[in-house]
Amino acid sequence: MWRKVLLVGMVMTLAASLLVAAPVTIRFWHAMNGPLGQMVQKLVNEFNQTHPNIVVKADYAGSYSETLSKTIAAVKGGNPPDIVQIYDIGTQMMIDSGIIIPLQKFIDEDKTFDVNTLIPQARGYYTANGKLYSLPFNSSNPVIYYNKTLFKKAGLDPNNPPTTWSQFKEACKMLTIKNSKGNTVQYGFTSGVIGWFFEQYMAVQNALMFNNENGRVSRATKAIFDDPAGLRIFNFWNDLIQSGVMINAGPGWDNANGIFASQKAAMLLDSTSDVGMMLKQGKEGHFEVGVMALPHPNGVPYGGVIIGGASLWMINTHNTQREQAAWEFIKWLESPKQQVQWSKGTGYFPINKNALTRIMHEGFYAEHPQYLTTVFQLLMSNVTPATRGGIAGPFPQIRATVEKALSKMFNHEMTPSQALKWAQDQANQELQEYNSLYQ
Amino acid sequence: MTRKLISYLLLVPTFLIIGLFIYYPAVLTFQKSVYRVSPFGNRNIFVGLGNFKTLFTSQSYIQEMWTTLLFVAVTITVGLTISLLFSLLLNEKVPGIGIFRTIVFSPYAISPAIAGMLWSFLLNPVVGYVSYVLLNLFGIQSHWMTTYPAALIAVMVATVWQNLGFNIIFFLSGLQGIPKSYYEAATIDGAGAIKKFFKITLPLLSPITFYLAIMNITFTMFTVFGVIDIMTQGGPGNKTTTLIYRLYRDGFIYFRTGMASAESVILIVIMAIVTFVYFRFVQRKVHYR
Repeated sequence: MWRKVLLVGMVMTLAASLLVAAPVTIRFWHAMNGPLGQMVQKLVNEFNQTHPNIVVKADYAGSYSETLSKTIAAVKGGNPPDIVQIYDIGTQMMIDSGIIIPLQKFIDEDKTFDVNTLIPQARGYYTANGKLYSLPFNSSNPVIYYNKTLFKKAGLDPNNPPTTWSQFKEACKMLTIKNSKGNTVQYGFTSGVIGWFFEQYMAVQNALMFNNENGRVSRATKAIFDDPAGLRIFNFWNDLIQSGVMINAGPGWDNANGIFASQKAAMLLDSTSDVGMMLKQGKEGHFEVGVMALPHPNGVPYGGVIIGGASLWMINTHNTQREQAAWEFIKWLESPKQQVQWSKGTGYFPINKNALTRIMHEGFYAEHPQYLTTVFQLLMSNVTPATRGGIAGPFPQIRATVEKALSKMFNHEMTPSQALKWAQDQANQELQEYNSLYQ
Repeated sequence: MTRKLISYLLLVPTFLIIGLFIYYPAVLTFQKSVYRVSPFGNRNIFVGLGNFKTLFTSQSYIQEMWTTLLFVAVTITVGLTISLLFSLLLNEKVPGIGIFRTIVFSPYAISPAIAGMLWSFLLNPVVGYVSYVLLNLFGIQSHWMTTYPAALIAVMVATVWQNLGFNIIFFLSGLQGIPKSYYEAATIDGAGAIKKFFKITLPLLSPITFYLAIMNITFTMFTVFGVIDIMTQGGPGNKTTTLIYRLYRDGFIYFRTGMASAESVILIVIMAIVTFVYFRFVQRKVHYR
């Protein structure tokens, strides 16, 4: 009898110890497709090899909005992932979701992790109400790519790109070429109609999108971008298009990229994340690509640019073991070695200071100065409520509203001031509708 | 009695699946349409008919209704006419007709996203083939995706092109179902080609045309948002946003579940009315042999 009890006891202890030793499995949903996705998987594999007690299962969940959409569905279905990559403008929605653990909790508890090693511009964006909610993963900001070869042809100095709006417009004029019939065969500048650029130009002028310090001290309740700074952007953008030195590439990024790649436009407003692709296109098309920081309006004090891209959020699974494992993984991704690897493999710049230093000493930036500009501009930015970027619940909608307003202006449906006012009124309605849910 | 019971039993799985995947979500849609719902569904506020009121008092929604009407009317009329013409040609007995049929049918096999990409490459204002040809032959600088009505026309063309294959296949099978003897008799009576087309072909094709019209309304009203999303994103301004594209954006880009549900309900009602009117009044004019 006793022998049996002993045997059962032994078997149970063995089983229990096996359970303890069994690795924790966590799920990670990301929005990185193609080569970027392969890079994520490579990092995940490396983590799994070096951390035998944790198994990370990474899955591509579609575009940024699809990833958010799938996360919502998974939360409703009671089976969410542990870590999810969410785009910048989803920040307020995630804060309000009631399903996440602010990473500040782990940063406070874990003495081995020094959050100050992350660049302040990146921390600033994901901090609200004094808490760091998520950690940046793939980070970008806007820059202007320019065709140095065409600059030379137009008699412009390719090593001295414009820094102010008036210089910029002057360059656009010089780079625009018409044929004998009066049709434009080469434009000075092109860009998609993308609301993100408007937000960036507000930050360049150190102007706010929303009240309550851009929604950073408490929830944003009013849009305040209908101000001189906003109007300046609308007027400038409209002026470039109506005067024929810029071609409106329409919605999205691809058309504008195509126009720049085929040398039909000499300058392109785009994200830093495309730097690798741009250099490759330049090589294939036999022209030299330069990268310049966003020029700013004359006489307006410089603010800076806002970090874009996406960050990593931890879902509250009510399972300490899994949460701890998820934190290990996030922490590992943020560390210098992984950031160097990620940055070199993708074109997203590293957000870890030590990673930046390491890449610099390796001579990468000396060899590829275009990559330096992409991160230099961000580091030169002042960390203010304006450059930390606005956060608001219905941000995806507000961004689209600004895009609509721009199109209405380009098509002479509205004057710049009417369009801007219309956008702000719409944004206020959208804010009110969203905020009413949390009163 | 047992036969009846067994037949009902055999229907149970079908009803289960329909109930679970069609009726249950539909009921939920009706329910959600009277709420304002937070993106993660953790907050719900009962707003009664508030969502509907917001929609019907919003200028943009009314504008989108007109856009949808115009979009559906034009794509169906133009689409069916062109398809009929093509199928008349493809019904001829010429060598290699199978190859032509395959070529004409192939757009239907392409996903809307790819079709959208294709057309936006073609219509790119500077590097697109269409723009290039227009510029070099006629000196026209066109801005297809960024001006109105060019953008709406561009989206319509892409939609018509995409549905072409489907329509042609059905028209072709309809044409082949018409007995040759009718035409022979008409020839003997001295009827010309045009008279034959209007007196024989068109009436005898009416059941197929009727079916295709209903199918096309359903397609264009309920599924054409891939092409719009890729080509214009509903722009410029709001000019190419149809009701279904608006619903997609509200539901999956802006996460306004309540509003999107209200829009679904409106679409369900519109579709019910269209179907009713069509079966009640148009079907009378359809000739079945």
